[in-house]
Amino acid sequence: MPLPIPLKPALPLWPLLPGLVFPVMLLVLALDLHGGGLNLLGRFALAAVQPSLDPPLIASLLQGLQVTLITALLAWGVSCLAGCALGLLSSRHVWLLVNGTTTGAVLVRRLLAPIRSLHELIWGLLLLQVFGLNGWVAVLAIAVPYAALLARVVSDQIDSRNPPASLALQRGGAGPGAAFVTAVLPTVGPSLISQMAQRLDCALRSAVLLGVFGLGGLGTDLVLSLQSLQFRELWSGLWILALAMVLLEVLLNRFPTGMILLLLTAALPAGLLWGSMLQLDLTAPQLADLSLFQAVDGAALMEALTTTPWPGLILSTLGLTLLGSAVAISGPVLGLMVWPGRSAAHLQRWGWGLLRLLPPPLTALLLMMMVKPSLWLAGLALGLHHLGVMGRILVEDLDHNDPGLSQALRCMGAGQRQAWLMGELAPCSRSYLIYAASRCDVILRDTAVVGLVGGAGLGWQLIEALGSFHWAQVFWLVLAYATLTSLGELLMDRLQRQWACQAGSL
Amino acid sequence: MRQVGIRGRLEPLDLRIAIGERVALLGASGAGKTTLLSLANGSLQPDQGQVQWRGQPIRTLPRRRRLEIGTLWQDLRLIEELTVSRNVNAGALGRHSLLWALRNLLQPLERRECLAAVTAAGLEPELMDTTVSRLSGGQRQRVALARLLRQQPLLVLADEPLSALDPVLAEEVMLGLLDQAGCLVSLHRPDLVHRFDRVIGLRQGRLVLDESTGDVTSDAIACLYQSL
Repeated sequence: MPLPIPLKPALPLWPLLPGLVFPVMLLVLALDLHGGGLNLLGRFALAAVQPSLDPPLIASLLQGLQVTLITALLAWGVSCLAGCALGLLSSRHVWLLVNGTTTGAVLVRRLLAPIRSLHELIWGLLLLQVFGLNGWVAVLAIAVPYAALLARVVSDQIDSRNPPASLALQRGGAGPGAAFVTAVLPTVGPSLISQMAQRLDCALRSAVLLGVFGLGGLGTDLVLSLQSLQFRELWSGLWILALAMVLLEVLLNRFPTGMILLLLTAALPAGLLWGSMLQLDLTAPQLADLSLFQAVDGAALMEALTTTPWPGLILSTLGLTLLGSAVAISGPVLGLMVWPGRSAAHLQRWGWGLLRLLPPPLTALLLMMMVKPSLWLAGLALGLHHLGVMGRILVEDLDHNDPGLSQALRCMGAGQRQAWLMGELAPCSRSYLIYAASRCDVILRDTAVVGLVGGAGLGWQLIEALGSFHWAQVFWLVLAYATLTSLGELLMDRLQRQWACQAGSL
Repeated sequence: MRQVGIRGRLEPLDLRIAIGERVALLGASGAGKTTLLSLANGSLQPDQGQVQWRGQPIRTLPRRRRLEIGTLWQDLRLIEELTVSRNVNAGALGRHSLLWALRNLLQPLERRECLAAVTAAGLEPELMDTTVSRLSGGQRQRVALARLLRQQPLLVLADEPLSALDPVLAEEVMLGLLDQAGCLVSLHRPDLVHRFDRVIGLRQGRLVLDESTGDVTSDAIACLYQSL
């Protein structure tokens, strides 16, 4: 009897496999349907084409937008400066040039890992306790993890370049700085500047998200409108935000490298000036009363460690991450495969744009209008936002495809969906999966912001502990959350390298 | 093909190929051979006229009919990320559903048929589970041929299939093509025209030669490659 051929899924199938979660998810959510808010959802949908144009409202929203933009601009400026500096400090290549070893780089990388593993919301709530209400809290909440993220990007970019060129210059008598500037900077500079430009868009989204949790700006206006069921006002805010994001994207794509550098240089002074015109509190943050922290002693720490339900929290965090990742990764691929064609792709792009626009907590609150809160709902809300991001990445990849392959398949009788699967998805499946691995990282961090829906996850427990000043528990939860996200980062790194190596060895 | 043409690339021409007929397509580079083949397989639409396959306009051919026209592309158009067996099986997509395509990505299907095509194309069976991007140029050519054989078309359109091939491989590919029910093969090898039933010649986008191989002269062929 011949041996059964083992299953060997081909690469293009991997983005589709997580889609197996959809039937189960839809079944669970269907069972949790309460339908009580269907009418509200209808009103929400209708309000999209009937936003409020009330002048005082628009003025207030524009004010909120400005606060958000200032926060994003300042955070971006600070994080890029700090990120570049930390990136150089954590680059093996730079350390080799400076003192011939890489130990320092490894140490700095290890120190930065837990810093970037904490979501900016958690940083925001921590800094709020330390500094009290101050405009810099939101700025630093974004800037700190972003600097650590950017440091990693910078050091990875530098270290991916071939060191012999700069080392050869050094052996020829050039100083480490001169060797770096001559042999490395020209090759990594343009791509780093492009990556930094994209971070401004991310900073804007983070600033909106922090606002949703009360740290000011347009996000606060949006959540207040939603909570008071003022959907027309909510959509006014969303359309204003969408316009700002589109304008920003257009500007960043069109700006030459020099302009982006100029913008980066001017970010801090421009943000401070703009903030002073709006009378934002951007004075130097002062340490708040820290006596509360003194209540934390060994006994309190031990009690917090033993009474916190670790297995449930860790499992729910992982569950949220897996559900969110499954939705985000397979959603766009399934959408385009089931509904291929140019007009369908355009329509889906708009849909993804809308999903990117809505912060996950807002999506979660909207979904709760018709479905009971649960881990599945939280996972869906998280996944839908990131589906918008993954969809955009996918179409950018697909747009660079040579259409000849899918055309050839159609000519030999393949159906439209078959030709899309084999002729369009297959060539970009590797790069999509590599990006998906890094997106899973982000989703793990983002579990903190949707925990409210399922009452689940380490991040959400951390927010609860912060809110109730349970510092001993905060300590352990920060440690656990940072450890989990760091481990997730390591795992995703390994997967990315494996896929990239396979491509390189082909 | 009835009065088909593409402005600037191919003058309007009438061309009819019978099933089973083996036709050589000659012409200098830029004469319009690839354009003609692309019109024939429907990947290019004419500015005027109509291309038909067995009485049906090629634009509206159903899948099972499109399956009857096989193309061996000059750039091969293989799926680099997939294995040889999955690429070969792509030739059979026209006979199956999307679900079959998905199952084929999970586990290569119809191994026996796939193996037959691979063997007929002269490729080592051990390479069936090798990713195409790891193969040499000659091996990829054989994979493209195996995919064509797997498709089992009634008409094969081949765009300069022998370019960049060593004589042994070129001969194998020729035999593989001529074995098909009918073919239209573009070549830069006038010495091979005797193996076909008919010769078509293009010159600067115009059909200037259409003779059976018994009637065509070497002067007429040489004329196709003379500069103006």
